[in-house]
Amino acid sequence: MRLLYVAILSSLILFTLSPTQEPSYGMNSVLLKVGMQDEPKTLNPFKASDVWTWNVIGYFYESLYAYKPLTFEVIPWVADGYPEFSDDYKEAIVHIKRGIKWEDGTELTAHDVVFTAKIMMEFKIPRYWSSWEFVESVEALDNYTVKFKLKECRVTFMEGTLMSIIVQKKKWEKIVDEAKRSEDPFNYLTEYKNEKPISAGPFVFGEWKRGSYIFIKRNPNYYFSGYKFNYTFQTLEEMREFLSSRPGLEQYADFEEKKITLTIGPFVDGILYKIYRTTDAAILALDKGDIDYIWWPIQPGYVKLLKENENVSMISTPENGIRYLAFNLRKDPFRIKEFRQAMAYLIDKHFIRDRILQGLGEYLCTVVPPGNKAWYNPNVKCYGDEGQGMSRAERVRKAVELLKKAGFSWEVEPRIEGDRIIPGKGLIMPNGEKVPEFDILTPPADYDPLRFETSRRIQEWWREVGVPVTAQPTSFATITQRVFKEWNFDVYVLGWRLSLLPDYLRDFFHSSQIIKDGYNPMGYYNPELDKLADEFVACGPREEKVKIAYRLQEIIAEDLPYIPLYSQSNIEAFRTDRFKGWFSQGLGSISASISYLKPVNTTTSEVSEQGGEKGIGYESYIWALISILAISLVTTLAWRRNRR
Amino acid sequence: MSLATYIIKRTIQIAITLFVVITILFFLFRVMPGDPTAFLLDPKMSPEAKEIIRKQFGLDKPLYVQYVLYVRNVLKGDFGTSFYYGVPVFERIKELLPNTLLLWVPAILLSYFIGINVGRRIAWKRGSKEEYIMIVLGLFFLGMPIFWFGMIMIWLFYHELGIFPAGGMMTPELWLDPSTPLWKKVADIVYHLLLPIITLSIGGFAGSMLLMRNSMLDTLREDYITTARAKGLKESVIRDKHAARNAMLPIVTAMSISLAFSAGGGVLTETIFSWPGLGREIVQAVLNYDYPLAQAAFFYISVIVLFANLVADVLYAYLDPRIKY
Repeated sequence: MRLLYVAILSSLILFTLSPTQEPSYGMNSVLLKVGMQDEPKTLNPFKASDVWTWNVIGYFYESLYAYKPLTFEVIPWVADGYPEFSDDYKEAIVHIKRGIKWEDGTELTAHDVVFTAKIMMEFKIPRYWSSWEFVESVEALDNYTVKFKLKECRVTFMEGTLMSIIVQKKKWEKIVDEAKRSEDPFNYLTEYKNEKPISAGPFVFGEWKRGSYIFIKRNPNYYFSGYKFNYTFQTLEEMREFLSSRPGLEQYADFEEKKITLTIGPFVDGILYKIYRTTDAAILALDKGDIDYIWWPIQPGYVKLLKENENVSMISTPENGIRYLAFNLRKDPFRIKEFRQAMAYLIDKHFIRDRILQGLGEYLCTVVPPGNKAWYNPNVKCYGDEGQGMSRAERVRKAVELLKKAGFSWEVEPRIEGDRIIPGKGLIMPNGEKVPEFDILTPPADYDPLRFETSRRIQEWWREVGVPVTAQPTSFATITQRVFKEWNFDVYVLGWRLSLLPDYLRDFFHSSQIIKDGYNPMGYYNPELDKLADEFVACGPREEKVKIAYRLQEIIAEDLPYIPLYSQSNIEAFRTDRFKGWFSQGLGSISASISYLKPVNTTTSEVSEQGGEKGIGYESYIWALISILAISLVTTLAWRRNRR
Repeated sequence: MSLATYIIKRTIQIAITLFVVITILFFLFRVMPGDPTAFLLDPKMSPEAKEIIRKQFGLDKPLYVQYVLYVRNVLKGDFGTSFYYGVPVFERIKELLPNTLLLWVPAILLSYFIGINVGRRIAWKRGSKEEYIMIVLGLFFLGMPIFWFGMIMIWLFYHELGIFPAGGMMTPELWLDPSTPLWKKVADIVYHLLLPIITLSIGGFAGSMLLMRNSMLDTLREDYITTARAKGLKESVIRDKHAARNAMLPIVTAMSISLAFSAGGGVLTETIFSWPGLGREIVQAVLNYDYPLAQAAFFYISVIVLFANLVADVLYAYLDPRIKY
């Protein structure tokens, strides 16, 4: 017992010796503290593939062109003006801005661009390869001019190739040389640790304690600091409409001038990424003020708790992604278009949005999410979900009508009496055979309760017209294995995260992707779509591309190899007492606002004092003292009783 | 048979067991559905790019070739390169294992220390209120899920009382400050260690406490206890020297077996407290199909458990002089 007493006492003494004040990085520094669920895997940009890594190293590298915030137009960034194309679109000249500096003070020049391009092409860096495989050569005409020669020009040239990162030649030259001389150049290059990245971006690398935190500092020489993005509007209504889908943005609005201005900082001295493995711990840390932002979406269940804290706000933004249902078009009855359309009528997407997603998301009629305004076609066919949406009885009536038209029949036909639906039985295909029992492969409830619940609902809805279907919860890995590798499926429900440029309209539906491990496991083939999709990915004026994208969406909505279901909204939580200026771009994460955030207090020292681990001050001493006293008392009493 | 021969014999057994373990691990991960490169591949990648990645991981070779290569490399102590981190697995393990030991060893020792002592005490005071309370508490701690308990601990001691950190291993702000002295950094780690250790110990002590109590009750009925009393020995001597030492034997057996289960609790504790250890890494590695890392992590945990078993067996001889090897 005495031993125990000593052990507890000594640990408590150690505890009281532990840090009680929070010193911060340097004097008066203003750190944005961000909670992440995992740490970067590497600092090597040629190896990095996961989001946690890019959340950090993404701040180190600039690109020739970039998306303008809020509107996602392609704008020259490191480049000076738009590329000058030759008539056949096989050559492009890109000029580079003067005076952009790497953190070591050297200038970012055309030679860095060419050097990076050569790495992409020679080492076939997987993350970028699809944007570079059609590039024939890249050369620097002088320090500020780059010439690209293309085998063929693709639409991803602007929004892929020219948006690739640029690394410093000086830093990487030696490593690339060594890699080329090694036995396995690709491995050598990607295995390089890059412990001291050289940045040209808003932040530079600070320190990384694996498993605990990573710290990046403001780049005092950042070229684009103070750069302004302006958005002007003709009328106030137009402006309000623009703001309405972008919560938080009104902080940047000047209603008199009818103007929104975003000024690039960074206005913080650094970002401190802390690792919290569970959302629960991160939520508590945010609630307590130890972090300013959780860099991953939180579950709706936490909203109530966080709402009680007046210093915490939340913004919900639609993700650029889709959840969809797809058919195996090699099999009957899925190969029959009317069958797919009938099934689409039976899916009540309003119900999915309002009841299953609880309003946190949007139902989809096309594969391009509505948030991607530049490419979204709002006028595609939506199978009973236009406007208010059809009632159940109307849906069943429509589905039955379509099935009959295609030659389907029933042993017992479904009937509608008023609002009541009497389900049908034994659906028979036009060839006289009964529709065989089949499964919807769906991720299980513990992996994604929303998709599981949606699939279960779809099962019930389809059964109303006598379709013998079962929603089969299946592990994610098994679904991808059976769908993409084996083509061994009937119907499945999965999702995609998407890019802004909808070149996935080709990837997902082009017949060239009907290969094992390809992206068209449905076996969907439509010559018209193939032709248009090929046209879409070739270079050309943007307006034309938009027209083609619209048409592609119409074809897909008509043929329905996919039934697009919904796209979720992500709720993100942040504190408002230390930094102001958080906003949503209407799509994706609010982390995009980090570059524009400003400290709430003008004097930075106050901010430093405000933050940090409150409660580890005198309070902890008092608690430790009380604990020691209590334990001593209990132990002494127990000991005395023993002796008696 | 001398103790040395016994240990040699057991070591050979352990080696064979480990070989079986690595073989099972190899095939266990390969029969898992899914593709280890899936997390690296995105829709934009051409089949060629995918092939580069598969080749990089040696997944383009037939399974038996992969197995032979794997066994050969493991024998050389090389577990390969982590798919996920792209660094040699050993490097990753080397980083994480000390953290895990730092958490697990004190926690397991503490839980057994508390368990054995409290168990001994409540058996001695059979029928008292103290026994009643401890049994109820013990059953509660035994049955409660440790991730839930960990969360409650964080909520109470971090969020409500503010005396312990939410997790992690260090206070970044303190480590970033160049003027922080070393002792403060050490104290900082200890400070972060306390709550996970307390959680893990409380989660683990109940089993040994209840077992010790039962074993002790059996022992107390033995004739030699009556004899000891008749000899007029002090109660505390009878309890600690005569009864407790004999009652310890089943505990030692249970301890070596339960180490494997403690590993399970450790994995969860590491996750809840964001402790950068091996246990948490296993979960991640399995989820990421990071075969090399998961295999190595399981392998090292097997080594620890088997080694602890060996220690327990040797300890038997010390506790019970009747046992001969």
